[in-house]
Amino acid sequence: MEIRDSVLIAQDRETVWRALNDVEVLRRSIPGCDTLEQTSPENMTATVTLKVGPIKAKFAGEVTLSEINAPESYRLSGEGKGGIAGFAKGSARVRLEAQGADATLLHYDVTADVGGKIAQLGARLLDSTARKLSKQFFEDFSAAVCADAAAEALS
Amino acid sequence: MKPAPFDYLAVTSIDEAVRALQASCDAKIIAGGQSLVPMMNFRLVQPELLVDINRIAALSQITETTGGLTIGALVRHVESQKSQLTIRHFPVIAEAMHHVAHVAIRNRGTIGGSLVHADPAAEWPLLATLLDAELEIHGPDGERRAIPAEFFLGPLVTDLQEGELLTAAHLPYLPAGAGAAFDEFAQRAGDFAIVSVGAVVALRDGVIAEARLALGGVGDTPLRAQAAETHLVGKPLSDGLLAQAATLAVEGLEPNTDLHASSEYRLHLVPILARRVLATAARRARGACE
Repeated sequence: MEIRDSVLIAQDRETVWRALNDVEVLRRSIPGCDTLEQTSPENMTATVTLKVGPIKAKFAGEVTLSEINAPESYRLSGEGKGGIAGFAKGSARVRLEAQGADATLLHYDVTADVGGKIAQLGARLLDSTARKLSKQFFEDFSAAVCADAAAEALS
Repeated sequence: MKPAPFDYLAVTSIDEAVRALQASCDAKIIAGGQSLVPMMNFRLVQPELLVDINRIAALSQITETTGGLTIGALVRHVESQKSQLTIRHFPVIAEAMHHVAHVAIRNRGTIGGSLVHADPAAEWPLLATLLDAELEIHGPDGERRAIPAEFFLGPLVTDLQEGELLTAAHLPYLPAGAGAAFDEFAQRAGDFAIVSVGAVVALRDGVIAEARLALGGVGDTPLRAQAAETHLVGKPLSDGLLAQAATLAVEGLEPNTDLHASSEYRLHLVPILARRVLATAARRARGACE
């Protein structure tokens, strides 16, 4: 499935780009992310608990940054195995477009793929779940960037 | 496939059920088990405790209350289909129940289970939305009521909080001179609907006094087609008017694409089913007025 959308963030492009490369900001933004640890500048390991209604699945996997074109765009990819529940993988092509000096439009283009039991039983519900999780990620990310910038301005 | 190990507790009252839910951080209510047990067998759901509410006799009743019917959460699909009370006041329920999976599942599956499972293509969430149901919920803080628009939050996600259980659906009687209808399109009989549609049309002196059009399978939750409803109210009934309203039913919809049907195909089905269902409801409303 593919999801294309954008979110307006009230921060300059440099700040947003830094946040896109900040493990702590990513950890707070990935829905259900329990841990996210950097293993190299472009690689991270993650554990994520995905909860959809009564279904709870724990995924362990890798998060990778590629196609880096600072400070404008990169690809954020994730791949995880959820044991018996199945697997999930997805990648988001993220592009930042400066909107004046203090706002940035973040475009994202997500492709996601889910397989295994979770896909067999929930095929009809996956599309809207992936859409919701993508939206939640970029909204939480936007909130995290703004909160961090506000905290920095205070200190 | 076998479920992961779990504890089991059979309760005999609503209070006991609420206490059991509070005592465990990972308990699930089991009623008919027609959605829960397959998910447990696939190990997508692994509750620590199952609270069996089948012995709470008060939840199995369909009763007449002031202004409507109360359908207990434990009422089976087949009972809601065959009850004299629902046949008299809400024949549209029986019409919809024919589409719920298969006989064995209808014999066991419950109204409450279907509502809390909140599948956006299931029949009871759609009926609750169409019939302006009030859902009765019991929890640690006592009883509360919720309306479908606030109860259904997304696919399989409801407003039900930890420690709460759904106990009944209250259905207000339809206004005088009303007719209702339901239809759905699925790939095979008993499959989840690709699109389902329910309508209520109430007539007064040939003019539409009230119109409701509910859609399933085209969003994260069952939806009401408000543009279509607004278009109908206050106008004299005609085939042309119903056709216009059916066209308006797609307004604001963004259905999913999945392996059963594309978004475009769902949008194609909506006005066709809406027109049929509105026409049937209107015909029944005319019959009710005679």
